[in-house]
This record gives sequence, C-alpha cells and structure tokens, in this order.
Amino acid sequence: MTGAIPTIALAGNPNAGKSSLFNALTGARQKIANYPGVTVERKAGHASFADGRPLSLIDLPGSYSLTPSSPDEAVTRDVVLGQQAGQKRPDALVIVLDAANLDNHLCFALELIALGLPTVVALNMLDLAERDGLTLDPERLAGELGVPVVPTVAVRRRGLSELLAALDHEILVHQLETHAHPAPPPTDVALHRRARAIARAATLSETPVRRWTQRVDAVFLHPVAGFLILLALMFVMFQAVYAAAEAPADLLESGIGVLQQWVVGAMPDTVLRGLIVEGLLAGVGAVVVFLPQILILFLFILLLEASGYMTRAAFLMDGLMAKVGLSGRGFIPLLSSFACAVPGIMATRAIPDAKDRLTTILIAPLMTCSARLPVYALIIAAFIPDHAVGGSPVGLQGLVLFGLYVSGIVGALVVAFVLRRTVARGNSASFMMEMPRYQMPRLNDIAIGLWQRAWIFLRRAGTIIAITTVILWALLSFPQAPADGEMRQVDYSIAGRIASGLEVVVKPIGFNHDIALALIPAMAAREVAVSALATANAIDAGDDEEEISQSLGERLQGRWSIATALAFLAWFVFAPQCISTIAITRRETNGWKWPMFMVGYLFLLAYAAAGITYWTAVAFGLG
Amino acid sequence: MIAKLDSAPLGTPVRIARIDWQLLSHDEGRRLREFGLMEGVEITPLHRGSLFSREPLALVVGRMQVIIRGKQAAAIEIEAIAAAA
Repeated sequence: MTGAIPTIALAGNPNAGKSSLFNALTGARQKIANYPGVTVERKAGHASFADGRPLSLIDLPGSYSLTPSSPDEAVTRDVVLGQQAGQKRPDALVIVLDAANLDNHLCFALELIALGLPTVVALNMLDLAERDGLTLDPERLAGELGVPVVPTVAVRRRGLSELLAALDHEILVHQLETHAHPAPPPTDVALHRRARAIARAATLSETPVRRWTQRVDAVFLHPVAGFLILLALMFVMFQAVYAAAEAPADLLESGIGVLQQWVVGAMPDTVLRGLIVEGLLAGVGAVVVFLPQILILFLFILLLEASGYMTRAAFLMDGLMAKVGLSGRGFIPLLSSFACAVPGIMATRAIPDAKDRLTTILIAPLMTCSARLPVYALIIAAFIPDHAVGGSPVGLQGLVLFGLYVSGIVGALVVAFVLRRTVARGNSASFMMEMPRYQMPRLNDIAIGLWQRAWIFLRRAGTIIAITTVILWALLSFPQAPADGEMRQVDYSIAGRIASGLEVVVKPIGFNHDIALALIPAMAAREVAVSALATANAIDAGDDEEEISQSLGERLQGRWSIATALAFLAWFVFAPQCISTIAITRRETNGWKWPMFMVGYLFLLAYAAAGITYWTAVAFGLG
Repeated sequence: MIAKLDSAPLGTPVRIARIDWQLLSHDEGRRLREFGLMEGVEITPLHRGSLFSREPLALVVGRMQVIIRGKQAAAIEIEAIAAAA
C-alpha cells in the first residue's frame, strides 16, 4: 500500500440506509460541500481501519442505475467511473443494500460490481428484514455476487469493523491481482432477471408477514384522513415553533440585554461602545434569539424525513401539485424551503423534468423560510394579542403565523399554475418514487443534522448579519445630529436620508420611515430587517436605561399602526430579500435570467400584497 | 380478463400481463423497470390519491412500495392471478 489515504465511496439505491452507515462510520468527522460546477452535495468524512490507518469516505447520492435520470444520479455515475471533476476515482466501493429489498437493489449492485473496483457489499438493515419475516444467507449472496458481503445494522453500529476489515482486504488483494477488463453491462431486463434469481437464491425463508406499516398507511395514506393528519401535523409543527421556543428565546434575549447593560456600565462612552452595544449586540442579538425556533422547525423536518413520513406527504400532495403542473416530488424541496430556500432549491435536483424543476425553484422562496420567522415573530408578538381563539387551546398568535405560512403556500400554487402555462410550459410532470418503510429516527442522525443547521445559522449571524449590521450602524450614527433635538439621529443620518428617499415609494402601502430603513439592509437576508430595526431603535434610545430595557416589540407598538404592521408581514410573505437564494438560483439555472425574473415577480407580488393588506386594514379602521 | 392498472381495485394482488412501452417515455419505462415493474411480476395496488385527485397510485412490488401516476398505470395491463395460473 502506498502512503496515500484510500478513498472509499458509498453507493446504493435511495433508502438503503447509506447515510446512516456513513454517519455511523464517520461520526461527526464529516464535511458537506458541493462538487465543483454542480450543486449536488458532496458528503465526505474520515474513518480509520482497525490498526488506525485513515481512510476517506464519500457518500454518493442514491441511485437506481448507472443511467442517470436526474442531476444527482449523474454525479453518482461520474464519481464511480472517475469522470467527476474535482473528485478522484474511488479506490474501493461499498455497495449498500437494503436486506429487505434485495431483488430490487441488486440490479444497481450488479452494475457497480461489473466496474471491477475493489468492492464490498454491506447487507444493511438486516434487523428490519428479519422483522419482516425474511431470513437471508449472506454467504450464498457473496458466492453469487463474487464479492464479500458483510451484514450490517448501521443504526446500531453492527458490522462496521467487519465491513472495514473486508474493505482493507479487498483493496490489498486487488493490488496483487491482474485484472481482466470489466464485462460490458447487460441490458436492464437481463439485469433484473439475474438480480431476482440471486435474491431468490440468497433467501432462506420468507414468511409473509402482515406488516403493521400497511395498517399505519391505511390511515396515513387515506384520501381524507391522511390528508387531515398531514394538515394537523403541519399545524402542530408551526404551533410548536412558536410555543416551545418561547422560554429559551426569552432566556437568550434577557442574556443579551444583561450583556448590553454590562458593556454600557463597563466601558467609557465612546464610538466603540456604541458599535458594540447598538450595532453588534442589538443587531446580531436580535437574530440569534430566533435560534430555538429555527432548531425546532428543522427538528420536525428531520424527523419527518428520517421516519419515512415525508414521502407519504409527497404522495398526499401530488394530486394537488399535479393540478398546478408540479409533482409530489416537488413537495420535499418545498417543505425543506420552510427551513431555508437554499437547501430547498438544491434539493430540486432530484426532480427529473427540467420545467417542473425550474418552476419548483422559482416558487421555493414563497415557502416561509426560517429567516422570516424573526420578522414574523417580532411583529406578531408586538401587535397580535396573546389570547386563545374562542375558548379553544389555539392561540391567536399561532393562528396568524399559520395564516402567513398558508398565504405563502397558496401564493406559490397560484404562481406555479401561471408559470407552467407561460414561461415554464412543458410536458406534464411525472411522479415515480419509491416509498421507504417507516423507521424509528436515530438520535445520532438527527443530532448531526441539527448541529449542521445550527452551525450554518450561527455562522450567517456571525458574518453576513454582523457585517451588514455594523455597516448599517455606521450609516445610522453619522453624521451626528445637532444637539438641539430638532431631528432624531435616525432621521438625520446617512441611512435615514436614504430611507427617506425610499419612503416615497413605499408610503402608499403603509410603510413608515422605520421600515424603509430596515428594507435596504434586509436585501442581504430577511432577518436583518429585525436587526436593522433593533439597531435603529437602540441608537434612538441612546444610553437611556429605561428604553434599553424596553423590548423592541414594545417600542414598535408605540410607533406603528396595526395596518402598517400587517402590511409589513404581508410584504415578507413574498419579498425576495435574500442574497443567498438569488445566488443559488443563478447557479442552479445557469445564468441571470431566472434569478432576475424571480426577484422581479416577487417584488411586484410583495408590493401588491402589502398594499392590499394595508388598504383593507385601514378600511376596517386599523390605520 | 385484461384490465388496466389505473382502474384496478385496491388491495387485490394482480399480475402484470403486458406493458405498453409506446405509451411511456424512455425514462418512464426505464424507471418502471428499475422499480421491478415488468411483465409477469405480481403487484398489489394499495392506495390511490387524496382529497384532490385519484392520482397517484401506490403499489407493492416485491418487498417494495412504489408510487406512480395514472398515466404510467394506464400503460400497464393486468390480469387476475387465479386466471393466469
């Protein structure tokens, strides 16, 4: 063996448990990036053989064959063939098979084995297969396939060391042998016959078990009950985001307040103190406070995905999505977009049809992402009374939040309907998908997923949001307003004057100077609107201890009408204010045409929605 | 008796008698085969649609459940298992 670290790729069908195996092998030692030139996620990590020699692992996108039907399946093919830019050909393959689904998963396995790389098969999820009444013979399977077969239960960490030992051995043997050229691939029908024959040979006994999952599905996939359950689940999810996050968010908020007062007490009154208290702490703090809500939302999404429910949701939604020219496959990227449009748009790569995919990308920003939560949460807490609706346990605040989410969804469906009949006209989308079995989500996988999301959010708060906040603070603090108190500092500053210009445009839809000021830096990211309001208000409050102790919401209450607050909420249902989303759309659609189109149509919608909301509210006497 | 899968009753196992590949695109046909949907294979349609439509169709093939739309199901001709035996 040379000194180079061997690279081993994990390949297999979707739902074979590849990611769990990858997590079990690498633990937290993993890195998610993109393959150069494409936006398919490259998951790489490190592990070591029993004697401590390191190896590098990559987790390839799940695929049915070496003939790709979507961009991420193309990456799998290119990597194993050594044709992927920026990725050397793996030294060995681990083919992950779902033990309970051999006849199907063996087709892709046979194609991969024919490539002639050192290969080990991980016969994964053996426990679930046994639960389903299936007894397999791994040795017989190894004999038929001509490569070692190691039974694994990734989620229980069973078979991992045996798997690594078998790999080590295969790589060594491979180097000593001379190799015949790989056999030409058989046709897909022949491949399936062979796969089924092998699966039958390796199956010792098969008891037909009336699976409990079918009874569960009879309810969850019921045309009416199933749909109501889906709605209820989503409702609970959004209520939980609001209710369960309250205590930790309050704690974070008061912590930041204490920190601000401590800095005010400990530092002389200089520009630097202003920058720290009014700029960094007020601005970044106002966003970090929403970490608990974002984590709760991601927790739900990760649980739904890991349990296998997400595909059921896609099944239930497909009929509705077909009516607007999309497919149920689009539901998964769109639901991810509730957390963040960026991973949502990246997840559209699993949609095979180009026009279906484009439409899904264009409407993804209409799903209420977590960056909008800080804005919604602030305004709702300040302007919507905190009481139950008609004696029920449903809170009015939660209901308004739910309404905002629904507005985004309805807006997205209408936009998709129009786009599919105009700029994104094409074949009717298809929807062919494997339905995974239900599984108990593993704490470890969920924890890794949550940690990655929290880290991305905090890094954003620490970089984009901190920088824009500091720039905004500077623009708000200079030039200093004359001491005679004729004009507020917020109005006198450079930012205040720019905002006054913008105010002319947004005044008809009920926006005031505060909002005009917040909208500009919020182009970087929506949640900056909150930090901008916080910074502007902190500067306004100056060192007044009483005003500092007042929450941002309390201060806004005194300055905005309810109509203005509602218009502000409506604006953020549609506004395309996120540089990351625009950038990812440009990359995914290979040019500026579609991101520009997206920004244009979203601003128009936002303006109209805010206007209609404002005028309606004023008509009802809320102005 | 020959029937189309898109109108098959739910919960009854049937056998695929013929697939009209002409009605399917190349990719659709390939994906069907990747799911193991081929002539002679036994399947059980299980769930169909939701509140809004009678599509898609979820069916069991082997030990796997897959989802297809009515358009693909309409290209699949099925026969009762007893009749074929």
